[in-house]
Formats: sequence, structure tokens, C-alpha cells
Amino acid sequence: MSITISAVRPRTSILDKSLSRGRGEVSLSCYALLFSELVQYCQNRVYTVPELQNKLAEMGQEVGVKFIDLLFVRERSYKREIKILNILLFVKSTLWKALFGKEADKLEHANDDERTYYIIEKDPIVNKFISVPKDKGSLNCAVFTAGIIEAVLNGCGFPAKVTAHWHKGTTYMVKFEDSVIARDKQLEDR
Amino acid sequence: MVIYGVYIVSKSGGLIFNYECNVPKIETEKTFGYPLDLKLNYENKKIVVEFGQRDGVMVGHVLTAVNGIPATGRQLDDGRDVFDIINERENYPLSLKFARLRMTTNEKIFLASMFYPLFAIASQLSPEPRCSGIEVLEADTFKLQCFQTLTGVKFMVVAEPTQAGLDILLRRIYELYSDFALKNPFYSLEMPIRCELFDSNLQNLLEHVEKTGISNV
Repeated sequence: MSITISAVRPRTSILDKSLSRGRGEVSLSCYALLFSELVQYCQNRVYTVPELQNKLAEMGQEVGVKFIDLLFVRERSYKREIKILNILLFVKSTLWKALFGKEADKLEHANDDERTYYIIEKDPIVNKFISVPKDKGSLNCAVFTAGIIEAVLNGCGFPAKVTAHWHKGTTYMVKFEDSVIARDKQLEDR
Repeated sequence: MVIYGVYIVSKSGGLIFNYECNVPKIETEKTFGYPLDLKLNYENKKIVVEFGQRDGVMVGHVLTAVNGIPATGRQLDDGRDVFDIINERENYPLSLKFARLRMTTNEKIFLASMFYPLFAIASQLSPEPRCSGIEVLEADTFKLQCFQTLTGVKFMVVAEPTQAGLDILLRRIYELYSDFALKNPFYSLEMPIRCELFDSNLQNLLEHVEKTGISNV
């Protein structure tokens, strides 16, 4: 009786496998410690608070850019969004769910300025364990999330600027460029 | 169900956090006849009872008023020196008020750093091998329980002597520390803890324990 054990496995690289959903859970502590290190890393390389915010936003943008393709393939079955309201709803629900496991609380349109929209979140997960000392002024580490949103919007063809503010919890102010608003109006008229 | 204070001592022995609440105010006012049988001493800008404790006036209490007039250090509010009044026979009978003052932050730091070497000595003096150090210190009026973490940080809670379940409370405080102090990017290790979220969550925890008891935590 002879038993042969094959020691050679067929080599499949990760590129041969289909895009799996993956486990959607990451330990909160693990994430919080990593984010804390990220903030400290940025803080060691800047001299002022606005620079720190810019650096965090840049890091967020690098994350956001990679999210666009993945989310549209998985959640929206390859279909692009072309209207402002739809892309914002995509950000509020799908993007937030993929990042944080829950949806953002509110999406509002500014009364006075038609280029500005607000996404409001009472308790952002990124800020859960962070107490900002008084000498850092109005630093909000949610600028990291604002960077993610900005990269997603820019990548989808809606150039915008996103900033984070301490208002009703945390508010992300999304300011679209005029070209985007004009294009959206044209779409509606048609 | 009364907790008097929470103290956190870092690995190097310095006090990094202290929180006091429900401290009972101890004050006694007594009338004395000449000659005064207490020995008073002027140190650290305060008049302190050094010897001769009786009727509730203990060693370490500070003189706060003479005949109802409050005193700061050696001087009464109306400008007279306290020792002059005490040494004159015709001022008697004299009514003196003594109180145990709250500790200043410096004193707390000093005492906490004294606890650290005591803890180390205790673990070496113990007849059992591989002893961990002081866990519980019980006195007539309070009970101090200490929890040392794997990293050498000591959490201490001072409560009334009959309080039970303090070790569960200490573990919850340890969880709060690891959440709101260690995950805060603006907190450096071994430094005093100045995180609002840690303070507010700790207060909530202590209030919850006082209202509903330790077993619900």
C-alpha cells in the first residue's frame, strides 16, 4: 500500500480569487490605537494646528480614492452616479456603512447657499476616544473623514471641498464647485 | 456605598490622576482655659496641632479660627497674631476652631510617591514567595484598595471600610483608562491625565456605583 502525499499546492494568487466581501468587522480598540498613532505621526511633522488638519485630510484622501471603485463595484453594480443628491446619499449611506458600520445621521442642504450641503454625525467613531486639549484650539480629528469624503466626491466627478466643524456633534460641510451645480441644473431641466 | 477618592500612580511612581469626592469635613470648635494643653506649631504657613490631642482635636489639625474670627496662617483677620493671643492669660477662656484641611495637589503627589516604595517593600518582605504587593489597606475610617496592572500602573481607590467589590470597580477604571487615556493621541505616557472624556466617564461610573451598587457595573 503506498500513500503519496502531494506537497505541491496549486498556487493561486490573491488576484485569481474573486472580490470577496470579507469580514466586515474590525476591533474598535485596534482601530482607535491605529488612528491615535496616525494623529501623533502627523503631529510630529507639523508646527501648527491648521497644518495638522491638512495633513490628516490628505491621509483621508488617500483612503477615499481607493474606496470609490470598490464600493461601486460591490454595492452599486457598476453604475455611476451623475446627480448631486444621489452621490450625496451614496456617501451618507453606503460609504458610511462600509467605513463605520452605520449610516451618517443627517444630510442637509444649506438654506442660503445652493453649493453647500451638510452631513451631520452626532458621535463620529474616529473621535470616540479623543479628548482635544485646550491648546489645540478647534482641532477636530474628523477632518480625516472629511478627506475621505472629498476624495470620493472628486473621484466621482463632483469636485468639492469638505471641511469638518464642531456643530451638533460633528458637521461635514460639503462645498461643490459652480461647474457641478450648473451641470446638475442642466440635467434637471432636460 | 461611599467612595472617597480615586488615585492613579504611574509606573515610575508619580501621581498621574487624582479625584476626590464626598470627603467628610472634619471641624471641631472647643473652649480652652489657660494654660493651653495643646502644643501648637507654625509650619508651612499654617498653625498645626503637634501634640496633646483630645476631644476630637487630632494631631495634624489646623487652627482655623480664634473666638470666631477666622485665621490665615499666623494672623487673624483683624490683624492680631495668634500666638500673642494664646500666650496672654487674660484672653482666656478662648474658643479655638480646628479643622482637617483638604490636601493640596503637591501633598497628594508627595504621599502617592511615598506609597510606591511601600508597595515595593511589602512585596519583598512578604513571607510568601512571589508576592504581588499591597492589595488592601484597612483602617478605622477608610479602606484603600490597590490594583497593579501588568505594566506597573497602580490604581487606588479609597472608600468607607465596609465597602465591598472594590476590585471590580478598579478593573472598570482600568478599562476606562485604557480607552480614554491610552487611545487619546494627545496623551503621553507617565504624564498627568488631562482628558475630558476620561474625567466625565469616571464620574459617571462613580455616580452609577453610588446609586445602584457595584454588582450592576
